[in-house]
Amino acid sequence: MIKFINTNKWFNNRHILKNINLDIAKGEVIVICGPSGAGKSTLLRTINKLEQIDDGEIIVDGMYLSDPKTNLTSLRAEIGVVFQQFNLYPHKTALKNITLAPRKVRGLSKRQARERAIKLLERVGLTHRKDAYPVQMSGGEQQRVAIARSLAMEPKVMLFDEPTSALDPELINEVLDVMTSLAREGMTMVVVTHEIGFAQKVADRVVFMDEGEILEVGSPPDIFLNPKHPRTKEFMSKVFHIPVFGDAEEE
Amino acid sequence: MMKTGVKITLLLLVTTSITSLLLGTFIAVMRISRSRFLRACGTLYVEIFRNIPGLFWLLFFYFLFPELLPPEIGAKLNGYLYYPVVAGILGLTVDNASYVSDILRSGRLAIPHSQREAAISAGLSRMQQYFHVLLPQMYRAALPPLGTRMVHNFKNTSLCMAITAPELTWATQQIESLTFRGIEATALATLFYIALAGVMITLIVTLEKILKIDISSITHSRS
Repeated sequence: MIKFINTNKWFNNRHILKNINLDIAKGEVIVICGPSGAGKSTLLRTINKLEQIDDGEIIVDGMYLSDPKTNLTSLRAEIGVVFQQFNLYPHKTALKNITLAPRKVRGLSKRQARERAIKLLERVGLTHRKDAYPVQMSGGEQQRVAIARSLAMEPKVMLFDEPTSALDPELINEVLDVMTSLAREGMTMVVVTHEIGFAQKVADRVVFMDEGEILEVGSPPDIFLNPKHPRTKEFMSKVFHIPVFGDAEEE
Repeated sequence: MMKTGVKITLLLLVTTSITSLLLGTFIAVMRISRSRFLRACGTLYVEIFRNIPGLFWLLFFYFLFPELLPPEIGAKLNGYLYYPVVAGILGLTVDNASYVSDILRSGRLAIPHSQREAAISAGLSRMQQYFHVLLPQMYRAALPPLGTRMVHNFKNTSLCMAITAPELTWATQQIESLTFRGIEATALATLFYIALAGVMITLIVTLEKILKIDISSITHSRS
């Protein structure tokens, strides 16, 4: 479904994606984790060309992103993106946020788009908030609307860029629950997240990145419990607050 | 005469508010476009029309503009009874549009880039991004200064007296010179200007409330 071939990206002489090779199958749930600045979000954003790559190739649903003949607008319509900061349109209600693209891009009638939106709001548990503006909603509600907005386009792939990082701790689960159910239905998902619990439960494979490089790819237990690469070991020990040899006396 | 004055002032106000908003939007979009050429054109427009007094543009459209056109058309314009009003509309529009475009551009700068990213990711075309996501937010963010600018434009309609457009200030002058009842006429004109500006401001404030203007609500998601 998504294939990275020797992908490289530089930013002001900084090599921020180093020779990325990754093949993501249809229906697969991939979690990308790693320290901040590792290039996780950049990697995710190259998939719908919000970030341009400088070298290599990315193939999404059989389309080559570097090919000038690829219709980027219609390809993007097939890729749902959920952002850290939700990015709902602040001048539109929850319902209108969801119906905009299906009406304008997919050409749905007002009624069809509305019906679809109501169904999706029901699914994320927010039917009662359909007329609320983004400012009137909590972060968790906004993010669930943002997910519904992406789903309304019936995308082939969903990208999640740290979807819970801007949320209060007690609101994180309501968003993760929606994502979990989506994964169970077979949606192809690429998720950048620090939610290890979610990754363990839902991910088919976990990608560990550091300094623009993919260091390890494996099943959640492989990466979280038996990491091979020293950098992965170090990171996991910090995440799980397990002291690495000799650090025991430190607080 | 006062009645005609009020009518013409209202006509100038309503027409130029609409035309300058349209032209100003067009120029603003040029100035934020990707094309360097369009950006340069937009900037040139603003620099020319904002840095030359509005009164000059009224005189330009009244005296010079007809001369620049083919003679038949120019002569027809000069002979047209209401040409002063037409020239007034043209002059006020190009003047006010330069300010409007700059105010709208500042509105665009208040919208975080992530809004465009969301619109791009949804598969909206560039036109759709502007019409459904960017422009509505630009107008909202720019509404308070935009309102002030429109009141300013309303007051500028009085400059049209210089080109004999029979608007309210011109009418007041005429009444003074024909009947020497200048005090009454001026008092009436003053009341009218205050009242109409008051109505405009009330409308703008109400609009702000209806649209729930809260700059933080637009920019809160800046990351």
